[in-house]
Amino acid sequence: MNNMLLGVIDATTYHDGLKELFLHRSLAAIPFAGRYRLIDFILSNMVNSGIVSVAIFPKYQYRSLMDHLGSGKNWDLNRKRDGLFFFPSPNLDSPHKGIGSFNHFAANMDYFYRSRQEYALISNCFTVFNMDFQPVLDRHINTGCDITVICKEEQSLEMFLVKKSLLIELISTRDETGYTCMCDVVADQDYNNYTLCTYEYTGSYVAIDSIETYFQANMKLLQAQTWKDLFLKDQPIYTKVKDEPPTRYLTGSSVRNSIIANGCRIEGTVENSIISRGVVIGKGTVVRNSIIMQKCEIEENCVLESAILDKDVKVQPNTSLIGTEENPFVVRKGTVQGALMNS
Amino acid sequence: MGKKNCVAMLLAGGQGSRLNSLTKNLAKPAVPFGGKYRIIDFALSNCTNSGIDTVGVLTQYQPLVLNSYIGIGSAWDLDRKDGGVTVLPPYSASSEVKWYTGTASAIYQNLNYLEQYDPEYVLILSGDHIYKMDYDLMLEYHKNKGADATISVIEVPWHEASRFGIMNTNDELNIIEFDEKPANPKNNLASMGIYIFNWSVLKRLLREDDLNHTSSHDFGKDIIPQMLKDECKLFAYPFKGYWKDVGTVESLWEANMDLLEENSELSLFDYDWRIYSVNSNHPPQYISPDAAVSQSLINEGCIIEGDIHKSVLFQGVTVGNGTVIRESVVMPGAVVGKNVLIEKAIVPPDINIPDGTVIRSLDGKIVLVTEDMLELLAN
Repeated sequence: MNNMLLGVIDATTYHDGLKELFLHRSLAAIPFAGRYRLIDFILSNMVNSGIVSVAIFPKYQYRSLMDHLGSGKNWDLNRKRDGLFFFPSPNLDSPHKGIGSFNHFAANMDYFYRSRQEYALISNCFTVFNMDFQPVLDRHINTGCDITVICKEEQSLEMFLVKKSLLIELISTRDETGYTCMCDVVADQDYNNYTLCTYEYTGSYVAIDSIETYFQANMKLLQAQTWKDLFLKDQPIYTKVKDEPPTRYLTGSSVRNSIIANGCRIEGTVENSIISRGVVIGKGTVVRNSIIMQKCEIEENCVLESAILDKDVKVQPNTSLIGTEENPFVVRKGTVQGALMNS
Repeated sequence: MGKKNCVAMLLAGGQGSRLNSLTKNLAKPAVPFGGKYRIIDFALSNCTNSGIDTVGVLTQYQPLVLNSYIGIGSAWDLDRKDGGVTVLPPYSASSEVKWYTGTASAIYQNLNYLEQYDPEYVLILSGDHIYKMDYDLMLEYHKNKGADATISVIEVPWHEASRFGIMNTNDELNIIEFDEKPANPKNNLASMGIYIFNWSVLKRLLREDDLNHTSSHDFGKDIIPQMLKDECKLFAYPFKGYWKDVGTVESLWEANMDLLEENSELSLFDYDWRIYSVNSNHPPQYISPDAAVSQSLINEGCIIEGDIHKSVLFQGVTVGNGTVIRESVVMPGAVVGKNVLIEKAIVPPDINIPDGTVIRSLDGKIVLVTEDMLELLAN
């Protein structure tokens, strides 16, 4: 990519619908597919497209996001020059609606002034996809458009490519224009002079905005085609690596149509489920159509159906946790679920 | 460079010729083990878990994979400002290239490396063994005994004792005699190839040994016997726990199978003594609706559509529909087609096993799959 593009990730998004999973972390840091966080997809796509300078603008509860990203080493972004930048919002209370808050950017103008890159790609943090941005930049330059919006079937993916100089102009004139974010600029295109182009993304994607879409997106991974579209050998999705041993299947385990991360110990039955790193599933336990996050321990003879267990949940023996596809049974991080509590 | 209390020297130059084709392009310490690791991960993880932060790794045979694997040591937290891991290959000096002709000569050629840390103690390790050990406890023992050298020993079954270097000790575990592979062992305490020396003593011994032209420059054959002759204080440190030399196809297979035991002595799930390795980036494993998996270890990036029983599968292995794999080890990136049967075998990395292939032992020995073998089977 010849180092022409800055990556700008808006990690401030908050969805009421994801509240229970959201209590301890920003949307960007929500676990997905057994070993990833949502931000891994956009971040890996940027890195795989040759972007070497990425700025992340978080707001709510960013401790787990910072813990996840660290120095950026896992994305090869721990560079002497450029690399990974982290710009938490100084205005905790100011509400804003769309992707790429100009107020938030304005507090960190030095990043835009000091970087050498000529263009900027501004993206949300909650889209699960695998995309090369090089062709977007090529098209943007060839068409001479001011703003290129990445779309899928005419639906905006809330990703924008602009010249950095234009972005700086938009940020500095935000009080006069009344534009608070990139979405405002795009929505107002009939009244401003900026030319707008769209770039059609042909792959598959899911934007996570509710427990329901989250659950469905995870379940969709069990279809071979989704899997193949998302996890490309030449464009891998990177994440924070852990030193977990391989997963251990014990006598009596029965596993079908599931995605299992490393470090699990499985003695029970698992069907149509996503099991994250370091999960223990006891003897006689059945887990169906569920998402089990990191380090959960499900003891013996439990039944879990259409459940989402956040990290570090302990389920005592003989417990049933039953939800439906439309309304999954969501269990909060670090809680203990017992048979007596649910009887 | 700061002074270090104890520096480890890890001998990783061995060929491991009894592992046949597995070590054709690979030093033995780099051979894959346990679904995700390489053999050397155990010694390196033991170092970092024991608080040893300065490790010289002596390489010689086929070092390419090993060198790039070790890198700057960050996988084991051994990328340090002062100390850390240093790969020490043989080098040329003045007019000659000094190959490592024996274990002692390898250390002797690197006296300069050790001198820069001026340690009190030097820990000599081998990169060929699977075990978890706290070297710090051994060092404490060495200090308490006031020893010149301490050798870690393990009780082996009597009938196997003649395959090992046997330490004959008195009641205080003072070593009084060393028998290399004795026909009639007097003892069953076998040397594990792990030594702690007082640096000042070792330095003198290595210099003298280098001048001795009849010496084979080996710790077991030359240095230890010389110390006994010199009446140095030599102690045996009795180690209890899992320890295995995975020098043959058979023992490599066995050690992998040991991991599948319900109460395996060698737990990879012990978070207080993690075995670290270079983590490859793969998506989680996918177990298809037609698959069946039991009593196995399976790593990330595997796509399983067949039946896996009592087996160890490394990262990125693909297993097709209708395939049965039993009591086998399948190394990274191997692609196993449809309707294949594999029993009691080791499948090397990145090999392609065509649909319908049958691989099973005819004589009870473990099969090491090779390209040549597959070609023969195809015809």
